[in-house]
Amino acid sequence: MKPKDLIRKLKQGDVRAVARLLTLIENEDKAVESILKNIWPLTGNSYIIGITGPPGAGKSTLVDLLAKTAIENNLKIGILAVDPTSPFSGGAVLGDRLRMNSAQKSGIFIRSVASRGHLGGLTATTRFMINGLEMLGNDITLVETVGAGQGDVEIVKVADTTIVVEVPGLGDEVQAQKAGILEIGDILLVNKGDRPGADRLAKELKMMLSLGEHKEWTPPIITTTATKELGIEELWNQINNHKKYLENKEIDEIRLSKIKYDLENQLSQYLFTRKMIQIGENEIQNMAEKIFNREIDPFTAIEEMIKQ
Amino acid sequence: MDKAKIRVLIAKPGLDGHDRGAKVIARALRDSGMEVIYTGLRQSPEDIVEAAIQEDVHFIGLSILSGAHSHIFPKVIELLKENDAEDIKIIAGGIIPDQEIPKWKEIGIDAIFGPGTSTIDIIDYINRSVK
Repeated sequence: MKPKDLIRKLKQGDVRAVARLLTLIENEDKAVESILKNIWPLTGNSYIIGITGPPGAGKSTLVDLLAKTAIENNLKIGILAVDPTSPFSGGAVLGDRLRMNSAQKSGIFIRSVASRGHLGGLTATTRFMINGLEMLGNDITLVETVGAGQGDVEIVKVADTTIVVEVPGLGDEVQAQKAGILEIGDILLVNKGDRPGADRLAKELKMMLSLGEHKEWTPPIITTTATKELGIEELWNQINNHKKYLENKEIDEIRLSKIKYDLENQLSQYLFTRKMIQIGENEIQNMAEKIFNREIDPFTAIEEMIKQ
Repeated sequence: MDKAKIRVLIAKPGLDGHDRGAKVIARALRDSGMEVIYTGLRQSPEDIVEAAIQEDVHFIGLSILSGAHSHIFPKVIELLKENDAEDIKIIAGGIIPDQEIPKWKEIGIDAIFGPGTSTIDIIDYINRSVK
């Protein structure tokens, strides 16, 4: 499809066109820039909910239940589900759809995304993929991260409401004190609530919150059993509470700061690439040899290369 | 830099629950660097085509052991046509009688891989078709 035709179809909310745009975005295709320039004013209209947590915590099942609840509330949903790319082959098996049966049956747009080597829980292009998905006119975009570790906190730069899913049995209360993923949750969720240790985990999370500095928004701690659809209504209500809180707290300001963060990243990437090309591989090789032979020190070498 | 990946949807339509073959293929394609979307058991043709379009895949891989292929093949082909998505190719595996293969290829199944096919042959086939 030519960019011109694609743009026309995107503006009609055509599903195939949106799917194709998402592919172009994740491939970092050259055509993306002109397309996004064209549709930019039409994007940014969905409320973004991020779901993160360790592998096997039940994120996909929860996404499915949230999607179902949203439909019952007459809201239109789009889903991006990120799974890891194999560091060895570059391939991926993307299995999140497996757990999203009711979302699949209701015709919700679900896109499985491979991380393609990007660390942090999302992909390099998630932000633009959300914008692409918004061409379908969805009210809510649900973003499920890769099964995340303690440092995978990127979702917070993308989502309006971030839900951190924990499950019992993964560690003692010291784990709950550590910095990282738990700090980014607007809602903390203990899933697999029917397992032993769920109550204790909820208490430990509560303890952790009470030890920290008091913030204006205290993340609620919710216990769910996703496989039995228990606790979902409470989760839905808390998402709405957080949304209301943000709306009173100038959500625009928060979104603006996220866009500024993205722009800084994009700009630094752009400047980096441009300068590296300008300096050239040969010059870097040349300087490396000089440093190796102690003809020059690394700091002077950089100063000289930057001057070019 | 070319970051495009081959994307394949592996689906297991029909009522039989033997998905080991589908999983072996999914794993082999992954190990060759492809992105495989695995949709699980008992998918209807409508589910499969909808997923294939949303996921913007190059190939749909259908694994059918139950004999339901004579209903499912034509339906999937028809739905792809209806959705203006005939560029998505279909490959199939499982139990498809040899004498039927020419017939299915004629109506739009791109390739059929019977029992005993090496995963390397399937990977080669996909790589060659996409290029």
